[in-house]
Amino acid sequence: MTDVDTGLSSTQLTLSPEEHRRLRRRYRRRTTLTAYAFLGPNLLAFIAFLLIPVVWLFVSTFRTGGVLGPAEFVGLDNWRDTFADPLARTSIRNTVVYSAMAIPAVFIIAMVLALALRTISRGSAPIRVALYLPTLQPAVVAAFIFAFVLHPDFGVINYAIRGLGGDPINFLGDTSLALPTIAGIEVWRGTGFWTMMFLAGLTALPSELYHAAEIDGAGAIRRFLRLTLPLLRPTFYFAVIFATIVNLQLFDSVFALTDGGPVNSTISVSLYIYRSLFLFGDIGFGATLSFLLVITVLVLTGLQTFLLRDRK
Amino acid sequence: MPSSNSDRQRSPGRLWRILAVVFVLALVAAGCGNDDDSSGVTDPTPEVASGGADDSSGDASPEPADDSEEGTADAPAPAPTPELSGTIGFIKGPHSAMEVEFNEQIIADFNSQVAPDVNVEFSTYDWPVHVAELTTLFASGSPPDVQYLVDLIYPAFAEQGVLHDMTDFVNDPEWADERADISPFAWDLAEQQGGTWGVPVLGAVYNIFINETLLEEAGLLDSWDDSYESMLAAAEELTTDDVFGFAARTSAADFAWWDWYPYIHNAGGDVLSDDWTECGLVGQDVVDAMQFLIDIHTAGVTPAIGSLDNQGLFDLFAAGRVAILHHETPNIVSLNENPPGFEWTVAAAPPGPQGHTVMGNFGILSIAEASNNKDAAWEFIKHWASAPQVGRFAEQVNLQVVRTDIIGDLFAENPAMKTVQSELVPRVQGLQPHPQILEALQAAWPVAEDAFRGNLTGEEAIAGMCAAIDGVLAG
Repeated sequence: MTDVDTGLSSTQLTLSPEEHRRLRRRYRRRTTLTAYAFLGPNLLAFIAFLLIPVVWLFVSTFRTGGVLGPAEFVGLDNWRDTFADPLARTSIRNTVVYSAMAIPAVFIIAMVLALALRTISRGSAPIRVALYLPTLQPAVVAAFIFAFVLHPDFGVINYAIRGLGGDPINFLGDTSLALPTIAGIEVWRGTGFWTMMFLAGLTALPSELYHAAEIDGAGAIRRFLRLTLPLLRPTFYFAVIFATIVNLQLFDSVFALTDGGPVNSTISVSLYIYRSLFLFGDIGFGATLSFLLVITVLVLTGLQTFLLRDRK
Repeated sequence: MPSSNSDRQRSPGRLWRILAVVFVLALVAAGCGNDDDSSGVTDPTPEVASGGADDSSGDASPEPADDSEEGTADAPAPAPTPELSGTIGFIKGPHSAMEVEFNEQIIADFNSQVAPDVNVEFSTYDWPVHVAELTTLFASGSPPDVQYLVDLIYPAFAEQGVLHDMTDFVNDPEWADERADISPFAWDLAEQQGGTWGVPVLGAVYNIFINETLLEEAGLLDSWDDSYESMLAAAEELTTDDVFGFAARTSAADFAWWDWYPYIHNAGGDVLSDDWTECGLVGQDVVDAMQFLIDIHTAGVTPAIGSLDNQGLFDLFAAGRVAILHHETPNIVSLNENPPGFEWTVAAAPPGPQGHTVMGNFGILSIAEASNNKDAAWEFIKHWASAPQVGRFAEQVNLQVVRTDIIGDLFAENPAMKTVQSELVPRVQGLQPHPQILEALQAAWPVAEDAFRGNLTGEEAIAGMCAAIDGVLAG
């Protein structure tokens, strides 16, 4: 290596403290402005399409009308109506029960599949494609597929059940089966996505730790419990929050398959919001229910953030 | 870096303070916002023309129109009105896979016979989400000028001021003869809330399809519909391993209340009381009617409740596996085009203690309050509702007309539709066009659905339905 001759003496390279501070401020300003320039469009979109609508939604909870006719201030009437409405309570309960069924189920299945895929050294690509295909189906297409799969008369599953001598099962028409069936369909749709997510997380884990654990005599289950799960915490953190947000907004499969029935056993908060806003023109009530959903998502996200935070 | 860590620790507190300020501002905005926040929204209070709807509905000239003998095809074309120009939009839900083609025929005739310089842009909405679609269109401020609206939903739009009160238009003396040809009961459905919200054009009757072959073989063809008890007995006798004796829609998604209505009307009840202030499902006859419906759905003569949708039930009938099926007249097209391997016909539900009614929906052609070309829209509606046009369309899609002057000329080669039009339509008792009727039915129906599963008695079901209906009216 040779020294580069800059043509400057050492005294000329030395900055005065004042000049140093000035340059540092300029550098900070430039990097800050660059950051804001990149963040600006997203910030504008956030304000225009999320913050203002949410604030407007909150304002609408104290009003009635405002879409087809003029708005009218009604105080806390919408809040009282919402908490007193038994169907609102049913929709909240259904949504929570659905999420409690769907999220753990899809995580367990996806983790098992991801662990299995990680062990396959060759030929896993077709399996990954097959696993991911259901995720690519639009919800309505998936709903129609399952309308035929689950049909009590000619559905594939009931055909098999009858072939085995059993009675056909009314999956979507039975009040106790309809919601678990919807959850099952959503698990089917989501498994591919979460498998790939967990597989990506597993692939990124440092292999030397596993080798060391193996040398120390840790078995597969111990390695999974003591290494994989703790190391996957960031992945789980994202997964739990994202899955909660998505599942609390359950709408399309219910809309396409049961329309909330039978006997309101599958009505979700989002479907009830849709009905209130678009079918019955009850803007204030729908806005209040929507705002409650937003608050619920925020609270749950905060709670999950607290519970899953990195305790060093 | 220490500084960035402390920034991160402070930021949640600052965020909450900012959010708190935003919500306080929002509360202030809400408190100040009870003014007529109507920017971009038309005045919700419709102008009621002098003379009002009551003056005009029943007293219009009842003389039969001279053109009643002219049938649907030979009516004289009105003189073109070249002073009308511009573009109008027309939106309608499809009654046929060829809806666009059938309406293009009507529009072509309109341009050649009435208004050559008016461009009519036709579009369709989807029935399952048509309320949402129409709400969005009205909220946009520029909806189509003309809408086909059913009696289930138009009252809510009328109440919110997005429909034009057509009282002046329909009371035009030059249109009096045409007006008189439309049945008074149809006008009653279109004239509510002190205004006239459209011109009634079509009806959809909910009939019963019967498998004549099965009923005849069982010797029940002449007696199955004598009473509710005889229908239940017939259904039980006809039910085998392969055949269901009876079927009707049961889910709200399929608008199952249409099949329930005739039994309630026949018992003297209705969803709302006469003054529309409370639930109208009152009296022992109504409870008995509900109990009968529960009995027939729990007698093992129907497909499992909730197992088949609207189309699934009809397909089962077409396959010869349902003997008595509640359904809709447009499916007569399907049976005519693909004749099943048995004889079939249409009928009404058996008579009840206080009547022998048939349920039917009706559609009106309305003008949007936001329309900038109401005169052209009115000319188009008059043309669409004229005998040749509405008659041809009704025959094309197998719906009923509400014009009395063309009934005799329609469905000459379609005996089932002839029966519907001549025997069932006169018995029609429709719904009460209250602005919240859809919400009331949606709220009450899950109770009925639960009852049909055997979980409630007739008395409990009616009590539950009334609680739901009263809840909607109170809200």
